[in-house]
Amino acid sequence: MRVKDEIYERLSAAFTPRELDVVDDSESHRGHAGFQEGGESHFNVRIRAQDFDNMSRIARHRAVHTALGKDLVGRIHALALDIDS
Amino acid sequence: MSDANTRIEETVKSNDVVLFMKGTKEMPQCGFSSRVAGVLNYMGVEYADVNVLADEEIRQGIKDYSDWPTIPQLYIKGEFVGGCDIITEMTLSGELDTAFDDNGVAYNKEMADKIREANG
Repeated sequence: MRVKDEIYERLSAAFTPRELDVVDDSESHRGHAGFQEGGESHFNVRIRAQDFDNMSRIARHRAVHTALGKDLVGRIHALALDIDS
Repeated sequence: MSDANTRIEETVKSNDVVLFMKGTKEMPQCGFSSRVAGVLNYMGVEYADVNVLADEEIRQGIKDYSDWPTIPQLYIKGEFVGGCDIITEMTLSGELDTAFDDNGVAYNKEMADKIREANG
């Protein structure tokens, strides 16, 4: 499974997102640190879910990190998160 | 407590503002670190920069210490504030100014407003 789909699947399973976009932005980092041939290194995630209501910014990010899991987060070079309720 | 933990704790307690980053504030080695260092530099904040690329023990240790898997990481008065996404959001919303105000950290408000004007 592509990393992009894995991210999408894990976040859909952990939360009830009303909006969820996962973009593999690796190609725009070609030549930069962390770029690998074949991509799958840089991701932008935008998620909107009620689950994040009343959570601090840090708590929201931690919840997403936890949902993705250490193995997946460890494999990604860069993960930009845009989280709101 | 491990040696890395002790060193991190000493660093965040003895400096009002600390940025754990890839590279240095003068020469960041990663776009995300560069963005946060750029904001602090632009706002004229005095801060300690810790280059995790130069210290493998700290590179891993700071992730455990903060329970946060990515770099950069910003600390104000010993408290973890966030990584690149959070600091960017807080800069644009003015919450970062508030955090500095609340903690008695000097910064240039005019320059902070300029960042918001340019990115509003």
